[in-house]
Amino acid sequence: MKFLTKINRNYFFLLTLILLGVSISGYFIIQAIILNDAKESLLEREFLIEKHILKTGEIPNIYPTVEVKIIDHRITDKPQFKEVEIENELEKELEPFLEYSSQVKIGDWYYSIKLRQSSFERTDLALILALFLFVLLLSAFAMSYLITGKMNKSIWAQFEHNLIEIEKFNFNEKQNLNLKKTDIEEFDRLDKVVTDLTEKLRSDYFSLKEFTENASHEIQTPLSIVLLNLEEVLQQDLNSETFQKVVSSINAIKRLSSLNQSLILLTKIENRQFKAEQVIILNDIVRRKISEFEPFFETKKLKVELNFEQDFKLMINEQLAELLIGNLLANAVNHNLQGGSIHVSVLENKLEIYNTGEANSLTDKTIFNRFAKLNSKSFGLGLAIVKNICETYNLEIHYHKNDFHCFIITSK
Amino acid sequence: MKILIVEDEVELLIGISNYLIKENYICELAENFRKADEKLSIYEYDIILLDITLPDGNGLKLLETIKKRQVKSGVIIISAKNSLDDKIKGLDLGADDYISKPFQLSELNSRIRAVLRRRQFDGSSSLYYKEISIDTDSKSVTVNGKEIKTTKKEYDLLLFFLVNKNRVLTKEVIAEHLWDDNIDLADSYDFIYTHLNNIRKKIKSAGGNDYIKTIYGMGYKLSEQ
Repeated sequence: MKFLTKINRNYFFLLTLILLGVSISGYFIIQAIILNDAKESLLEREFLIEKHILKTGEIPNIYPTVEVKIIDHRITDKPQFKEVEIENELEKELEPFLEYSSQVKIGDWYYSIKLRQSSFERTDLALILALFLFVLLLSAFAMSYLITGKMNKSIWAQFEHNLIEIEKFNFNEKQNLNLKKTDIEEFDRLDKVVTDLTEKLRSDYFSLKEFTENASHEIQTPLSIVLLNLEEVLQQDLNSETFQKVVSSINAIKRLSSLNQSLILLTKIENRQFKAEQVIILNDIVRRKISEFEPFFETKKLKVELNFEQDFKLMINEQLAELLIGNLLANAVNHNLQGGSIHVSVLENKLEIYNTGEANSLTDKTIFNRFAKLNSKSFGLGLAIVKNICETYNLEIHYHKNDFHCFIITSK
Repeated sequence: MKILIVEDEVELLIGISNYLIKENYICELAENFRKADEKLSIYEYDIILLDITLPDGNGLKLLETIKKRQVKSGVIIISAKNSLDDKIKGLDLGADDYISKPFQLSELNSRIRAVLRRRQFDGSSSLYYKEISIDTDSKSVTVNGKEIKTTKKEYDLLLFFLVNKNRVLTKEVIAEHLWDDNIDLADSYDFIYTHLNNIRKKIKSAGGNDYIKTIYGMGYKLSEQ
């Protein structure tokens, strides 16, 4: 839920409550005030009537609002108010009235005075006033809602802009985060924190990248020296044991170097340092690689079956495409059986490589991990590189085994 | 043949030059950009081995100067970065070849000879060893004056041996020379044996001797003993 929607929703609930509360209590308060007023006016009328009787001796009677009678003696001297219902003579309906009754002594006589006022007006008035209050509040709220909505939009617009900037941010691009000033202290503080943080992250990222690259390259030079010296030692007249030691040292150095290069390559792929410049037809790459691998197929007496149904076109860096196919084929050869087979088929957006081989414990989840390997002869980086290339170019790669070890690449 | 070696790692510089001197090249050494630049403005070289990461300048810049002043010389770039960008840039700027560290001397020698051949230096197109000779122009092998038919790989293999005669070559070096080494094919060195046996047979049937000796089952050497 958006921040503004959340606020608006809460605002809406709260206002509804306030509106209802104020209107209902307003209704009762107004009614009480009017009642109070009515009572006062009845008392005033009583006073006027008493004065009138005293002056003129005439007893006024206007049914149903004024009813005065002479009584023999007083039953109670407490005046009282009560709600009564009296039949309207015109409409023949019961109507509510507020009745004031008292028994007073005026001159020598006792009088019973009953004064009434219609309650109808009172209820109607209260209702009208409460309704008026409701409408007034509602329109005030609606106005303030519209105005704050407009205001919020303009205030949050810059925040929104900055948010989009942050979302677009990419470590690999040298371009800095371009956040707008908002005039709002909290937002500006947030922007500053984000900017500082990304700057720091980026500089750390680049220095780490540079360090890794430099370290890896620097390793190659001492390795060269070792290799060069060992190669010269190899030229001397050595006995079998020493010769073997030197050769195995040379091979170890080469493995170390090629491991190092594979790791550099992995880092480079992950850092997206390879640019895809044109659409490559994978079929061509597969054909080329297959012919390069011919001698290895022969050595292991592998039967290779090719099936090109459609062109698999892909926007990919050519070197990486070669590496992808090369590593998959190398994998199919390395883990194959003597006299086994390899099946390669290319469809539109799909490449399948099946090969025979010994059973293994690797699964689709583990086979592409770095250093996942079945024998000590390989590093277990070949398929990790394959996976990385696939991820870089939005390809999906899956492995499963039935009678064959199957690698299937599909474009998403 | 005169070679200028530009390499900032002195041990490597001396190692390479010792080896090349043994192979009868005349070597001059430069361990930084300034010295290399100086030497290039005075002398002429047939081959320049150029490390492109120098402490005081970019080797690629040196390459531009070389291409302006020394049109005849062949350039092989040596780089610690096995980066395609550098390779393409280097080759675009007119380098003849590119070799990345760590390399083996036999491979370096083979690359130097290939550049010399391509640049048609005198006598570089024919190689001899006893009764075996290779003409690199026509890509033909003759034993005792008789031409023998070879496949592309057999020819490459024999040429590698003739360039590195009297030198022990391990199976791995040969495999890397014949195929791109960027493939992680750990246990596929057997094919060399097949190609090698074919060559031996062909030379023998043409009346030649088998000079390719197997050393402790791990390497080979083209020699008389």
